[in-house]
Parts: sequence; structure tokens; C-alpha cells
Amino acid sequence: MARIKFEHRITFIYIILGAVWILFSDSILKLFISDIDNLSEVQTLKGVSYVVITAIFFYFFIRKHLSKLRNTEHELEKHKSNLQQLVEEKTMNLDHAITELSNTNIALNEKNDIINQQNAKLKKTLKELKDTQTHLIQVEKMASLGVLTAGISHEINNPLNYILGGLTGLENHFADEKINDQKVELYLSSIRTGVNRATAIVSGLNQLTRNRETYEEDCDIHGIINNCLTILDGELKNKIEIKKQFSEQPMVVSGNVGKLHQVFLNILINAGQSIDDQGIITISTEIKKEKAHIKISDNGCGISKENLSKITDPFFTTKEPGKGTGLGLAITYNIIEAHKGTISFMSTLNKGTSVRIALPLKKEK
Amino acid sequence: MKKPKILYVDDEPINLMLFEANLEKKYQIMTAENGTKGLEIISENSDIRVVVSDMKMPVMNGIEFVRRAREMSAGISYYILTGFEITAEIQQALDTGLIRRYFKKPFNINEISSEIEIVING
Repeated sequence: MARIKFEHRITFIYIILGAVWILFSDSILKLFISDIDNLSEVQTLKGVSYVVITAIFFYFFIRKHLSKLRNTEHELEKHKSNLQQLVEEKTMNLDHAITELSNTNIALNEKNDIINQQNAKLKKTLKELKDTQTHLIQVEKMASLGVLTAGISHEINNPLNYILGGLTGLENHFADEKINDQKVELYLSSIRTGVNRATAIVSGLNQLTRNRETYEEDCDIHGIINNCLTILDGELKNKIEIKKQFSEQPMVVSGNVGKLHQVFLNILINAGQSIDDQGIITISTEIKKEKAHIKISDNGCGISKENLSKITDPFFTTKEPGKGTGLGLAITYNIIEAHKGTISFMSTLNKGTSVRIALPLKKEK
Repeated sequence: MKKPKILYVDDEPINLMLFEANLEKKYQIMTAENGTKGLEIISENSDIRVVVSDMKMPVMNGIEFVRRAREMSAGISYYILTGFEITAEIQQALDTGLIRRYFKKPFNINEISSEIEIVING
């Protein structure tokens, strides 16, 4: 059942009471008062008292309700102010938290920067360490090899001296005695070829391993390449054809003879190893823009694209353990850099590889 | 005409023998097995024009021998003939003029004799 609203009820009761009062109060008055004059006076009094009573009634009624309303309003006001304070407090807390968060964020970013910097430093150190290790291994290797070859070559040079001295003596003797025998001629020339080749190998080995740190020696590139080919003769012959296309002008670079031997030896060894059965290594040289350009190409197995970018990394190798250290081209690269030169590699799998080296020519003084 | 005198010092007898055998037609070759003997020969033969010495020898090495010999007789032209590649010590001897040239073993007789000719005729 719908509840009848309070104001409707009170208005309804007031109308009913008022109507009952107006309708029945006069009849009741007439029962007690017979005098008309008196009646009129009493009626006036009755009207006044009605107004007063209802006024008093209304007064209390309205006061009660107003006070309720005022209380509510007051409470509301109080709540409102509380709420505002609460919001302010919360806002302040939030601001505080935001400041703290952003401070933490800044600190974190700083830490992140530090970590990134340290990471970069670590990477750099690691690279330097690898390079130093390569260099150390190389220096150590070449130093012991140098001592060994110097000792061996001295010991071999003496018997070679006997052979050459004896040969010279024999040649002179035959010439003096006017002995002109074709067979003798053949034997003598065979011995001379043998001695010359042995001498070239020993001398080449010595050039390769000489322990000098200067970069101001006159390096005859053609001589160095020929020397390396002499050293590698045993390894390459019967398997590989060497095609030389050397520039006609002499090619002299200011640098380190021993180290440049290592460069060409490394590249020629790699080229030789890339060829399984039969193949060709082409070596061409050319002088362009005050630079010595050397190109060494082979028609061997080639290098895959993904490996090509790594071949100068220290310790990178595709050879079986014990077959290669992965240092050859790393060292080659370092030596070329030390000569202020450039080296680049081009390769196609199963087609072959070509290495291009450019070195600044010796400046004429 | 008397043949010019040349001293060759080397600790290996075969080297001495071959040097002598190959050059004796043009020069009077004197030989010594070590520096001490070499110095003795120089002191006894003031007419020696050229001295060729091995590097690695007992008693004293080639450079030491040449240094001492030069103190006795500065007018001689000195040479080192060795199986070693050029060393810092030899390079220094070349730079300071202690020796005129350095030859490598196995020796090239023509190279050595043409150098001796220059010294003797010049």
C-alpha cells in the first residue's frame, strides 16, 4: 500500500478538524448559550482562540521540523567540510606519493644509465681483453718461433755454406780444367737450384719471424709475396696453380717486413686450405692513388654470408679443434690496421674468396 | 805483383777451407779459428787489407773481435759474414762504421770478391 505523504496527511487532518470545528462548535455553543449578543462575542472569542491554538500548534510543529532540518543541514555542512578536508588530505597524500614516485623514477633512471654505461664498459673491456689476448698469443708465438728459426737457420746456413762453397769451387775447377760435360753441367745446376731454394726458404722464415716492432722498414710487397710462396711451396705445389699479375712498377711500403710476411702467409694459407682438390690462386697488384693494392683470389670453398662478418673476430674458426686457432685473420686485420691500410673480404659459397688489401706507399723523401 | 792479404776468421774448418779455396787465386788468404788467433795474425801482418769474420764464435764474437782488431789496426776494412739474419748488434756496427758491410751465409763468392776489389783498388 502506497504510503500517504506526511504533508498530505497533516493538511487533510487540519481540513477535517477545521471543518468539524466550524460545523459543530457553533451548534455546541448554541446548546449552552441562548443570548444572541453573547453568542456573537463568544463566537469571536472562539475564532481568536482557534487561531491562537492553531498558531501555537503550528509554532511547535514548524519548530520541531525546522530544527530537524537545521540539524540535518548542520550535519551536512559538517560532513561537507569533513569531506573537503578529507579530499585535501588525500590530495596532499597523493601529491606526496607522486613526488616520491617520480623521485624513485629519476633514481631508477639514473641507476639504469649507470647499468647501461657499465654494460658498455664491460663490453669494451671484453673486446680489449680478447684483442690483448690475441696479441699476446701472437707475440708469444712469434717470439718463440723467432728464436727457433733464428737458431735453426743459423745451423742450416752453415752446411748450406759448405754446399755452395763446394759448388762454387767445383764450378771454377771445371771451368779451369775446361771440362765441358753436359752431365756435369746438369748435376751442378741441380745442386745450385737446390741450394738456392733452401737458402730462400731459410731466409723467408727468418723474415717472417724477425722480432722487430718498427714500422719504418722498406717492405717490397712483391718480394714478400714471393717469399711467402717459397715458404708455402711444399704445401701448394701439385694442387694449386699460382697466377701472378704483378704491377710493373716496384711496390714499396713503409712498414714491418716480418709482420707483412705474416699477413700474406695467413691469406695464402687460408686460400690454399679452401681448395680441396685442384684450384687456382690469383695474386694481382696495382698502384693506384699512392696506394699499393693487392688482391688475392681463390676458387675454393668460399665463406657463408653469416660467417663472413666474423672472420676477423679473434678465436672465430670453422676448423676442427687443433686445426686452427681462429687468430690468423684477426692478426692479419690488426697488422693491416697498424700499417694504416685496409682489408676487405668478398666471398661466395662454393665459388671462392677474394681478399683486397690497400696499403699506403712509402713516401719519397 | 804480390796478392793482397785477406784474413778470414770462422770457427768451422770447412768454411775456412772453402773460403780459401775459392779466393786463393786472387788473394793471399790467412785464416783463424777464433778471435784471439785472428788478433795475433793481425798484429804479425801489418799488410792485411781486408778482414772477414764470422759472428758466432767461441772466445769472442765477430763484433767484439772486429772492435779489438780495429783498435790495433784501423786501416783495415772489416766485414761480418754470418748465418744469422741481421741483428741489432750488427746493425749498430754498420751504423757506427765499425764494419763496412755484412754478408750472409751461404756466401756468394762473387759478391764478396767484388766488394774486396772495391776496397783494394779504391
